[in-house]
Amino acid sequence: MSAVWLLLPLYVVPFVSHNEVLLTILIFTYILSILAIGFNIVFGYAGQLTMFHGAAFGIGGYATYLILSKFGVSFWLAMLPMFVAILLLSLLVGWVCFKFRLREFYFAVVTLAFAELIRLVVLNWNDVTNGSLGLLVLDKPTVWWPGRGVIKIDGTIAWYLLALTSLLAVTLVSKLLVRSWIGRNFAAIRLNEELAQTLGINTFRYKLLAFTVSNLFAAFAGALFGFYSNYIEPAQLSITQSLDAIAMVLLGGMGSILGPVVGALLLTGLPHIIHFSAELRAATYGAILIAVILLMPRGVVGLFPGRRHVS
Amino acid sequence: MFLEVDALSKRFGGLVALSEVSLRVEEGEIVGILGPNGSGKTTLLNLLAGLLPPTSGRVLWHDRDISGVRPDIIAALGIVKTFQNPQLFAELTVLDHVMIAGHLPLKRLLGFGRVGTFFAPKFARQELHSRADRVLQLCRLQAAADRLAATLSYGEEKMLGVAMAMMCEPKLLLLDEPASGLGQAEILDLGSVLRDLREHGTTLCIIDHKVAFLAQFAHRLIALQNGSKIAEGTAQEVLADEKVITAYLGRHHARA
Repeated sequence: MSAVWLLLPLYVVPFVSHNEVLLTILIFTYILSILAIGFNIVFGYAGQLTMFHGAAFGIGGYATYLILSKFGVSFWLAMLPMFVAILLLSLLVGWVCFKFRLREFYFAVVTLAFAELIRLVVLNWNDVTNGSLGLLVLDKPTVWWPGRGVIKIDGTIAWYLLALTSLLAVTLVSKLLVRSWIGRNFAAIRLNEELAQTLGINTFRYKLLAFTVSNLFAAFAGALFGFYSNYIEPAQLSITQSLDAIAMVLLGGMGSILGPVVGALLLTGLPHIIHFSAELRAATYGAILIAVILLMPRGVVGLFPGRRHVS
Repeated sequence: MFLEVDALSKRFGGLVALSEVSLRVEEGEIVGILGPNGSGKTTLLNLLAGLLPPTSGRVLWHDRDISGVRPDIIAALGIVKTFQNPQLFAELTVLDHVMIAGHLPLKRLLGFGRVGTFFAPKFARQELHSRADRVLQLCRLQAAADRLAATLSYGEEKMLGVAMAMMCEPKLLLLDEPASGLGQAEILDLGSVLRDLREHGTTLCIIDHKVAFLAQFAHRLIALQNGSKIAEGTAQEVLADEKVITAYLGRHHARA
């Protein structure tokens, strides 16, 4: 459980430093890490290049907020039907793609088409989603805290603790997942799908599982993102959102538990460290990304010694 | 009946890859299938393993029709195929690869109980490790267990492919050109491993175009040409068959 232990000391940060910028960067890092970890499961472990996680991320925010405001339930309760919706949607999209045996580039294109379809629905369904203006989210998640009863997650420190705890939970689940027989089956599918089948693995079922888990993580991240930034807009479902998560995984290190977290930290933190004009900053950022991917095929995590496991 | 193939045909568009091939495999024997490139050997194995659906004909496994059944189900029933060119993860060890192939034994051992190992992966890992050790010993890879796949020779890579298949405890192992690309010493090693596998109780069906290699230890040979079976019998019978000589050496030699 080394990955989980490595994250634990981060709980100390808000009690040592009250730097708002630092804490905000870390909160966004943790939330986007959850999205990247989800993508890493379906791509880094099971080898399926999805472009749907951005859509799941956006739907997570929209659905949670819409259910919450329509039925007056809490953030956590609103997430349950949202997860059910994401589950059904993933099974539908995954079923279509995997039944037609779409692989690699074709799988990416078809999942992207589904994602764009959903983005266009969100963009044009003005009555519900408020179209391109997006939705202002003023509600906050609540938690029960010993001695203080139900409290709202408001303010930087509370959000820091919530985001880090969420990341820990997701890291733990994904660690258990990839260390189990499921993770070994994902590896077999990534190695060679026909070989995996001849080893007795129902590749359709396990690809569907990887795709669904990835989308559930993405939707969880999206819900946190929308409520933390107080704003949900159609851009959160866009291809850019998907590509950002892919860049994080490639940068940090594919097929490792902590790689996506390192990638998320670098891509969230870099724009704040590089103080150039906006255009120059975007170019520098792109150049760093290209250089890192070319020079470090296994990402930043790959620079550190240590054997990678599947079993 | 162990395995019975009944008038099996496969067409890809207008191309007939396999035409009305019938054969039987008895439990415990080693059957060699030979034929020049393009004779339909690999297509036949892919049909048996369920990787391709047949155009017509049947495959009976213990009297059950398994033609058109999904490959993972066929593997669970006991027919496992190796691949001609092994694809491996350069950064993983030999043992890791064999563990990846541990789905079927774990499923047989625990059934849905394996969901419990999600939270306690150690138990499943120990069980698979002991099986993996046995399989590696059988395939003479035990000394290489902790080596990265990137450091293996081509012969060891192919043997690792056999080890992964053996992890599934097949009753019938289909070997797709196990000797191709190997040196003389490696072919000798392969031969003794294959005999050990049979001693272990695995029935073997081997395709190859190296006649001498197959003739060494196959109980029975089946010769294919242009998708049809042209001869069947002991090595001596098949190698003396006029059609086989024609297919291999040309008409001129057959008459001579």
